[in-house]
Amino acid sequence: MEEIKKAILDFAEGSKKTKFYFSDIAKAVHKILPDAKSREIKKAATALINEEKLIYFSLGSTTMYGLKGRGITEDH
Amino acid sequence: MAFEPKEPQKKLKYKELRIYSDEELNNYTEEELKDFKCKHDIPDLDELEKGPWPSFVADAKREALHRRKLAEDRMMVGRDVVEDLMGILQLSFDHGETHWKHGGIVGVFGYGGGVIGRYSDVPEQFPSIVHFHTLRVNQPNSKFYNTDYLRTLCDLWEYRGSGMLNMHGSTGDIIFLGTTTEQLEPVFYELGHVLQQDLGGSGSNLRTPSCCLGKARCEWSCIDTQDMCYELTHFYQDELHRPAFPYKFKFKFDGCPNGCVASIARADMSFIGTWKDNIRIDQEAVQAYIGGELKPNAGAHSGRDWGKFDIQKEVINLCPTKCMWMEDGKLMIDNKECVRCMHCINVMPRALRPGSDTGCSILCGGKAPILEGAQMSMLTIPFMKCEPPYDNIKDVVDKIWDWWMEEGRNRERLGELIQRHGVPKFLEILDIPPMPQMVTEPRSNPYIFWKEEDVEGGWKRSIEDYRARHKR
Ligand code: HEM
Ligand code: HEM
Ligand code: SF4
Ligand code: SF4
Repeated sequence: MEEIKKAILDFAEGSKKTKFYFSDIAKAVHKILPDAKSREIKKAATALINEEKLIYFSLGSTTMYGLKGRGITEDH
Repeated sequence: MAFEPKEPQKKLKYKELRIYSDEELNNYTEEELKDFKCKHDIPDLDELEKGPWPSFVADAKREALHRRKLAEDRMMVGRDVVEDLMGILQLSFDHGETHWKHGGIVGVFGYGGGVIGRYSDVPEQFPSIVHFHTLRVNQPNSKFYNTDYLRTLCDLWEYRGSGMLNMHGSTGDIIFLGTTTEQLEPVFYELGHVLQQDLGGSGSNLRTPSCCLGKARCEWSCIDTQDMCYELTHFYQDELHRPAFPYKFKFKFDGCPNGCVASIARADMSFIGTWKDNIRIDQEAVQAYIGGELKPNAGAHSGRDWGKFDIQKEVINLCPTKCMWMEDGKLMIDNKECVRCMHCINVMPRALRPGSDTGCSILCGGKAPILEGAQMSMLTIPFMKCEPPYDNIKDVVDKIWDWWMEEGRNRERLGELIQRHGVPKFLEILDIPPMPQMVTEPRSNPYIFWKEEDVEGGWKRSIEDYRARHKR
């Protein structure tokens, strides 16, 4: 779990984009941790949200993840 | 079992929550309704009102008239939305194609589902419904609510939306039809923080789970469908609101094989109450049905004279596995042959009851899409005990999701994944053996393949020995 969380944050911080689809995150994590299961990645992303490191950015029919404090945030 | 809420329940003060007065709600006469003319010409919609069935057009016209007569400051979205909606529908009939654009980027903060964006592609003609988004509201379990609650929902939606709603969508949700982007957050706030009513699912996530009346109203319920539905809805909140699945996924809970929420036909995972022991028989009541003192089907078919009740013809001969008979004036059942079709129990509810060793069957892979064709879910686990907090059930769910999230293609339902990989693969994932109950005709089922280690003696055989008996 901690490894996955780290991989997600590294990916998010190293990216020029401010919003990521779950599938982008999963792909990035798989590069570092090929055996990580999608549902584990999902759970890790949720944990990061609960820790307020990531935020959800929802589009009605899909969810994107963003780094807290970058790009569009809750205030917009 | 007493209801134990997962979060403190506020006592709603409905009087304070109401937005409109009775005068405002009853603000037109039937005379005025007769004279009502929509601002657009809608000949095909008018036509829909003429048949024998009640039409949504009649309801829409009432709502349109009602909004015409409401004061301007009593509606947060356009007065004309209902009339424009009828207009755009007429235009679609004229053109034979829709004028709604699917999807679009809308939602409420923190949720990836629950709001379905709708934009019209004819904004000049129908300005009040340029954006006209739909909200899915998670229906209360078994759709139990009181009139105060309904009035409050309706008031809220009259004020912040089109006033039109759909009770209920196929998945069960209360559907709020049509509002502007600006109103989404206020509606979400009112629902969530004031009415304690969550949004439902949409997109590639867990859709709003739904259940039958269950033990609250129905003597046949073998499982507490409401409790299971409530527990799993809460447990899988993240899956409900933050889509990351290949496609939609539905849970439905039926208390018995009568299947009042049709879980077998409509859910990727259907939970259907069943029993392991014997159907409980009250022989005296059987005689009362035979003698005519008790009405078959609790009198449900009494609108017509069907003649004297004939247990042989109406029950025993209709048993699909022919496992019932009369012996010395007693009704006998060979329970190991019973397939729990519920027929005999439905006909003679006072005499027959499901057994008392109850649990659920889990069936997987059902779906009802319009384009790709429907399929029923397949019996996967014939019997499982259902006791809170349902850890055994959650284990199965987790295994299935792990597999589907890894292997499922974009927009591939669980049932399609099972077809693509085959039932044996699915059973391997769940770590359960194949069983005859999984198919109607086990011996002709092409999907069950044996592995060498499953077969005594393995694959090896002497071809010469075989040829000695079978010519080429
Ligand atoms: C405006 C349209 C309709 C209204 C207002 C309406 C209303 C109702 C109501 C109030 C009940 C009783 C529910 C209960 O007591 O638990 C009911 C039951 C039912 N309705 Fe409808 N209904 C409508 C249209 C339809 C249509 C179009 C169908 C099917 C084609 C249908 C099929 C049924 C069935 C199967 C039941 C259950 C019957 C039973 O188990 O006794 N309804 N409906
Ligand atoms: C508006 C449409 C319908 C209504 C209101 C309706 C209502 C009912 C009611 C009240 C019962 C008695 C339930 C009981 O006593 O357990 C019943 C039984 C039944 N209905 Fe319907 N029904 C409708 C449509 C249909 C259709 C379209 C089918 C088949 C295609 C169907 C097949 C049956 C069968 C097989 C039973 C007997 C179940 C049993 O006793 O085991 N019904 N229906
Ligand atoms: S599914 Fe069975 S238990 Fe549930 S309401 Fe229908 S008849 Fe009753
Ligand atoms: S439930 Fe169906 S299969 Fe079982 S005994 Fe009754 S009629 Fe026969």
